[in-house]
Amino acid sequence: MELKLAWRNIFRNKRRSIITISSIIFAVVFSVTMRSLQHGAYDNMLKNIVGNYLGYIQIHYNGFWEEKTIDNSFYIEDLDSLKANPTIAYINHRIEGFALASHQKESKPVVILGINPSKESEHNQIKNSLISGSFLSNKKNGILIGKGLQKIMNINIGDSLIFLSQGFQGSIASGIFPVLGIVDLKTPDLNRRTVIMNLGNAQDFFGIDNMATSAVIGPKNDEWEKAEKSILTQLDSSQFEIMNWQQMLPELKQLIDVDRAGGTFVLIILYSILTFSLFGTVLMLAEERNFEFGVLVAIGMRKSIITRIALYETLIMSVVGVILGLICVIPVVTYFHFYPINLSGQMQEVVEQFGFEAIIPTSLNPWISITQALIVFSITIFVNLYTLVKIKNIQPTKAMRS
Amino acid sequence: MITIKNIRKTYQSGDIEVQALQDISLTIKPGEFTAIVGPSGSGKTTLLNIIGGLDSPTKGSVKINETDITQLPENELIDFRLHHIGFIFQSYNLIPVLTAKENVEFLMLLQKKNEQARNERTLKLLKAVGLEDQIHKRPNEMSGGQQQRVAVARALASKPSFILADEPTANLDSKSSENLLNIMQRLNREEKTTFIFSTHDQRVIDKANRIITIEDGKIISDTSQ
Ligand SMILES: Nc1ncnc2c1ncn2[C@@H]1O[C@H](COP(=O)(O)OP(=O)(O)OP(=O)(O)O)[C@@H](O)[C@H]1O
Ligand SMILES: [Mg+2]
Repeated sequence: MELKLAWRNIFRNKRRSIITISSIIFAVVFSVTMRSLQHGAYDNMLKNIVGNYLGYIQIHYNGFWEEKTIDNSFYIEDLDSLKANPTIAYINHRIEGFALASHQKESKPVVILGINPSKESEHNQIKNSLISGSFLSNKKNGILIGKGLQKIMNINIGDSLIFLSQGFQGSIASGIFPVLGIVDLKTPDLNRRTVIMNLGNAQDFFGIDNMATSAVIGPKNDEWEKAEKSILTQLDSSQFEIMNWQQMLPELKQLIDVDRAGGTFVLIILYSILTFSLFGTVLMLAEERNFEFGVLVAIGMRKSIITRIALYETLIMSVVGVILGLICVIPVVTYFHFYPINLSGQMQEVVEQFGFEAIIPTSLNPWISITQALIVFSITIFVNLYTLVKIKNIQPTKAMRS
Repeated sequence: MITIKNIRKTYQSGDIEVQALQDISLTIKPGEFTAIVGPSGSGKTTLLNIIGGLDSPTKGSVKINETDITQLPENELIDFRLHHIGFIFQSYNLIPVLTAKENVEFLMLLQKKNEQARNERTLKLLKAVGLEDQIHKRPNEMSGGQQQRVAVARALASKPSFILADEPTANLDSKSSENLLNIMQRLNREEKTTFIFSTHDQRVIDKANRIITIEDGKIISDTSQ
């Protein structure tokens, strides 16, 4: 009977029930869409610069990240034990070292990046950034240079660059490599100072056979936190430093945190609007029903039963609102995950300059929907507590006089 | 049996004290069909509310079959009303989302009567008030007179010891009033239910077998006819 009464009461004032349910739907749709876009943008950003270039996790010999010297190299076989780790999808060994590059009269400091181009994850990235020439192979000697460096050095494909550097433990490193191709690494800074070569060439150049300075870890399904934890238990931390992207790129982490806080602020405003609009209807409803509740108490209905009916009404409406909201928003979010929003015009340029793709795919993380749905649901219930207080204080004679 | 002893009711409105009832004592025996009459503001509603446990007196006691309802805690008082007192209101006050049948059945549901008993009594009462062909209508689909007859059936449904009706005919035309009073009178005899009602209407007063007149919160006459 209580459910029947609740159900009929919802249908009695259709307009208000529709308003209530729609505002719940709107709140769910808006908050889930916004959060999904935000998280999607972060995920994409991470995939772009972190996932490909930097890696979510890097392992170095202790102290390398601070000093960046070739002396802090490690033997590749020392990390062989990680190959069996189920949280890791791939390990790319790299050499990162400084050198002086010369061509004719021009000399510039550069970063030599030694990679293994036959590894698919590395290969794809170079191929994507290659703007002219051909890319590295395991057989040919040669290098790829950033397009900024090409301009500065005034060098063409087929010309050679001479490198000079300090090698392993104080030795002198020198070499001459022909330019195979030009790459656009998206950020001007990287373009101006990056030279990419075979890992083998780099090992020869710096005199560190079988060694590398960094191991880029590709976590399974991008679940880097899980991989990091697992690696930390596996490796000796007195010998290796295991760094995640947040430690390597604190600025990016900060940027995301600031943006997320901005989003939270917008959501708080949305929640407040929802609270007030719901409160408005609840207030009206409570005033209107006061008389009726008074009658019910007078003829012998306990307030606890009336409270329960009012609660059922709220529950039904919020559950329906939240579910309808999710039904509306999930296809939208899913669509924009697979067909991301393309930024255009100035936005596109700005974003690309920073090395990001100019698209925002939405995140499909189910926790976004779950959290937002729960928050909206709780607000609805919270607002309706007013009705319960009102019922508790009903005096039938007073209520029926109104 | 209702025994009211030395009831006083003082309302405080602002700085002014209103003496709505002044020292009223009264006994009402089972089966009575009693009218409470008096000019506007004389205290009829206040008295009925206090007898029905909807309002508490400033002083005095209201005993219904040995229970002093002025001493009952809230929930017990509500339960007491459910089981012992029927109410008929001037503005009908049916539950708008329920049909005539459901409105009558409602209190029996609260009393946890079984379905068969509920159905039997509901149909019997709706028949008694002449609405057997309206049982699935909602209040807003019925005339005032019809709604008030549903209200009478509802008040009787819980088998209360007595029924309180504050100006039950005030919103009805004279024909509906007469009709309602006849029904109440018949049910008073058939169901042996006590009726106490307040009224301004002389034709209604004529049907009562006891007339209590109050003025300024005091009983000025109490006659049986
Ligand atoms: N809640 C209240 N607060 C203050 N005074 C009240 C209140 N209820 C009733 N009164 C006063 O108590 C007195 C008795 O009122 P009551 O409603 O019982 O009269 P009544 O006989 O039912 O009148 P009517 O025939 O107009 O319905 C009146 O003077 C009224 O103004
Ligand atoms: Mg009155």
